Amino acid sequence: MKDLGDSARALDKLSIGRLVSLFEDTRAEVAGDRAAVLAALADSPRRARFIGITGAPGSGKSTLVGQLGTRLVARDPDAAVAVLAVDPSSHVSGGALLGDRTRVRFAPGEKRLFFRSQASDRDLGGVGRGTFQVCRLLYYLFDYVLVETVGIGQSEVEIQHVADYTYLLVQPLAGDQVQFMKAGIMEVPDAFVVNKYDQVEAAERAYHALEASLRMARLGRSGPPVIFKTSATTGVGLDELVADLARPDLPRKPMADKEAYFFEKWVRDQYGRVGLRRLDGGAATWLAAHDGFEAAQQAFAARMVSSPRAD
Amino acid sequence: MATDGSKPHQLVDADGAPTRDRPWIFRTYAGHTSARASNELYRANLAKGQTGLSIAFDLPTQCGYSSDHPLARPEVGKVGVPINSLDDFHVLFEGIPLEQMNTSMTINGTSMWLLALYVALARERGIDEARLRGTTQNDIIKEYLARGTYIFPPEASMRLIAEMYEYCLEKIPDWNASNVCSYHLQEAGATPAQELAFALANAIGILDLIRERGRFDADKLERCVGRISFFVNAGIRFVEEMCKMRAFADLWDEIARERYGVGNPRYRRFRYGVQVNSLGLTAAQPENNAWRILLETLGVTLSRKARCRALQLPTWNEALLLPREWDQQWSLRLQQILAYETDLLEYPDLFDGSVVVESKTAELIAEARSEIDRILEMGGVRAAVESGYMKAALVRSMAARIARINRGDQVVVGLNKWTEALPSLLLAGDDGGLFKVDQDRVAEAHAALERTVVNRDGALVARALAALEEAAKSGANMMEPSIECALARVTTGEWSDALRRVFGEYRAVTGVEGQSLDLEGERLTALRQRIAQFAESHGHRPRLVVGKPGLDGHSNGAEVISVSARHAGFDVIYSGIRLTPAEIVASAVEENADLIGVSILSGSHLELANQIMAELDAAGARGRIPVIVGGIIPEGDVATLRAAGVAQVFTPSDYELIDVVERMLGVIEEHAAAAA
Repeated sequence: MKDLGDSARALDKLSIGRLVSLFEDTRAEVAGDRAAVLAALADSPRRARFIGITGAPGSGKSTLVGQLGTRLVARDPDAAVAVLAVDPSSHVSGGALLGDRTRVRFAPGEKRLFFRSQASDRDLGGVGRGTFQVCRLLYYLFDYVLVETVGIGQSEVEIQHVADYTYLLVQPLAGDQVQFMKAGIMEVPDAFVVNKYDQVEAAERAYHALEASLRMARLGRSGPPVIFKTSATTGVGLDELVADLARPDLPRKPMADKEAYFFEKWVRDQYGRVGLRRLDGGAATWLAAHDGFEAAQQAFAARMVSSPRAD
Repeated sequence: MATDGSKPHQLVDADGAPTRDRPWIFRTYAGHTSARASNELYRANLAKGQTGLSIAFDLPTQCGYSSDHPLARPEVGKVGVPINSLDDFHVLFEGIPLEQMNTSMTINGTSMWLLALYVALARERGIDEARLRGTTQNDIIKEYLARGTYIFPPEASMRLIAEMYEYCLEKIPDWNASNVCSYHLQEAGATPAQELAFALANAIGILDLIRERGRFDADKLERCVGRISFFVNAGIRFVEEMCKMRAFADLWDEIARERYGVGNPRYRRFRYGVQVNSLGLTAAQPENNAWRILLETLGVTLSRKARCRALQLPTWNEALLLPREWDQQWSLRLQQILAYETDLLEYPDLFDGSVVVESKTAELIAEARSEIDRILEMGGVRAAVESGYMKAALVRSMAARIARINRGDQVVVGLNKWTEALPSLLLAGDDGGLFKVDQDRVAEAHAALERTVVNRDGALVARALAALEEAAKSGANMMEPSIECALARVTTGEWSDALRRVFGEYRAVTGVEGQSLDLEGERLTALRQRIAQFAESHGHRPRLVVGKPGLDGHSNGAEVISVSARHAGFDVIYSGIRLTPAEIVASAVEENADLIGVSILSGSHLELANQIMAELDAAGARGRIPVIVGGIIPEGDVATLRAAGVAQVFTPSDYELIDVVERMLGVIEEHAAAAA
């Protein structure tokens, strides 16, 4: 694991590809390997910021993400960028068709750009079951991790627990389709992007509709909403968006908070309400009392096995 | 005989004298290796009685790359002739009188460039360009949907088409600036009603745009409607296909009249050329394809009212690889026998008044109308392409077709019925019944390109390209600047790159999302169990990276396999078309794939497979990730591919999807067991 970790730090794609699989691995027995990898990476100089890119199918997420990645590495010769693109799994077969790669073209020799597709594995929150786990790994390997969500709209709320900062993409509007603005998802994003601004007229319509409904929906928030205008085709607005997500004062969420959220989610998935009741002091307390996420999981599993109902 | 003594069966001319129709134009879709080799072929074909040219370009030319581009190299001269500059056109048409020729060019993404080359050639030969006759295929919609040789985004591509119509109407009145294609839609699985609706919606999209641009007054718009021509497919259900052609003629007349107010019936006529169906040709017992081609020909010739203007036939061995000159001659002879030996051309329409034909036609018209309305409601053909609606509909139809064949509901002789047969004697020749590109002669294309670049005036080239870019940015018509580029010896790659800088490059939506296949039953259940077991013992579902290396954009096969594998429970990473071997390997490495599956229909499978193996080596992943190859692969090449390290090879005879998916899982399981 140490060797793999070292070559991953040197951005070797074969090693990173294999390690991502380790962090997606659903078998309980690999938790120890994960902990070992993270321990080997602990002194890495990189600490990625996580950028969420969400929006309905067809809003141009993948194409935009590809452009952002290319521009991030072009403006900073040291920057390394990973993209994690989540697509839905079939509820019938469990399999998935991950098609985001068709819209992203990174030069195969560019080590500082890494792209990985991930199946949602029937999770409904807009990111995959393995997304957070993989983010824990990528945290130590890259400077930016762009997480592209499934994009099915109203259920896309989980991204805020993975990403430090989330952009919602909106596409140009034909006619009077404004109802999308009412959805609860409008509460999640930190900023908005009206994409495909090459279709200027329809994009303007979307911009104004978005601005109006945001004023309504986000009454409690301070300041006007931030809305970017971009086109991956013409390049309009991309530099501004890149500058925004790369700014030094971009808000960050502590990794410990994210771990606590996903630890609780894991307990809920594995043990249901019974499990949650046994997490007496809360996930953060439990995590703090153990040496890392994996150790906390193992200890909790042991607790549930030894006395599943009560202490 | 009627009571007045007239004979309704007698075809008469305007003066009432008995007559016989002139035959349609006979064409053979041809071109390969180099401009010189193709010129020799065209002259031989014309000497055999072919009456028009149909030029096949190689994939680099179609996708806007010169022969020396890395993506181009394995594909030069494979499926058509490579054209890098006007110098190549001089060689291609040597000894062929342009002013007497009707030339059809199967060219789309770069059609303005190829027309500019043709006009420039006429100018350098001192021929009045107004006398040029022919067609540039120039249908970008079906490229996005099925064929894959697009370059620019839809808006820019549609502008190029509109500008060619605007130029041609003024300067080359007998040129068909584009050919609205339903051909490729049928190849991609379209039903007859879909073929009608999608093609007509496409024509509406072009004409609406031209009307919106406002360069034409009412009179010119009417003439422009008259310039719209179609390129249609004809399948084996030839009675229905004939009715489809009659439905096309009726619907087009109605659209021209009602939507565009065309008064002159001449400009409302449905003008079309045909290539009969290749989708239904089989690799098994390939000699049977000769009969299929004959029957399909009847669908587009029997009814005088809906008879094609030009016809090109595939060859019996097209499902195997490229045809030889002899195969093309055999197909041409079929046309000549039908037109000159039989009495077909002596009669008026045979089916007027037929209750069956009229009812079937009416049914197709009704279905097509409602589908056209649906597309127009969505915002027209461009919206229906960009949203993926049309692509998804085609993939669904294709999946349904495959399912019918798999279940035996649709009989394909030699494929799912009467499969026992004697070995084909047609494949018995020294060449195995197939054409092979002479790699030494491909070098001619590279040498010619080098000569052109050395001999041209660099300053002139730079000025011509700058003027082209300026026109692209300003919205001026790009036709004349393109002709200036041609005259200055700009190359195909340079012309395309100039426009890429202005318009960007486009990636079309795939049809793979949200699809399902009619694959049910015990075998599927068993397969899903096997996959569940794999997932449990390995901690992940089998991961398959699917991609199409090279420039061949026929993505249906790759998409159907992707959908099938997902349906069985794979995680499939579909990485799309036009990829270099390095890109495919990089995808597989990043995705930590269990298997790479590539689909190749262009004939470049040996080169591409070797390059993929070399890239795996370079990435340190050889032996880690097994590779399978599928496509139009001759049986004779299977062993060569296996020897190069390919784990499994799927040829056109492996048409059963569940079988393909089982074998893919088998490769993964075997590989995992060996690694453990």
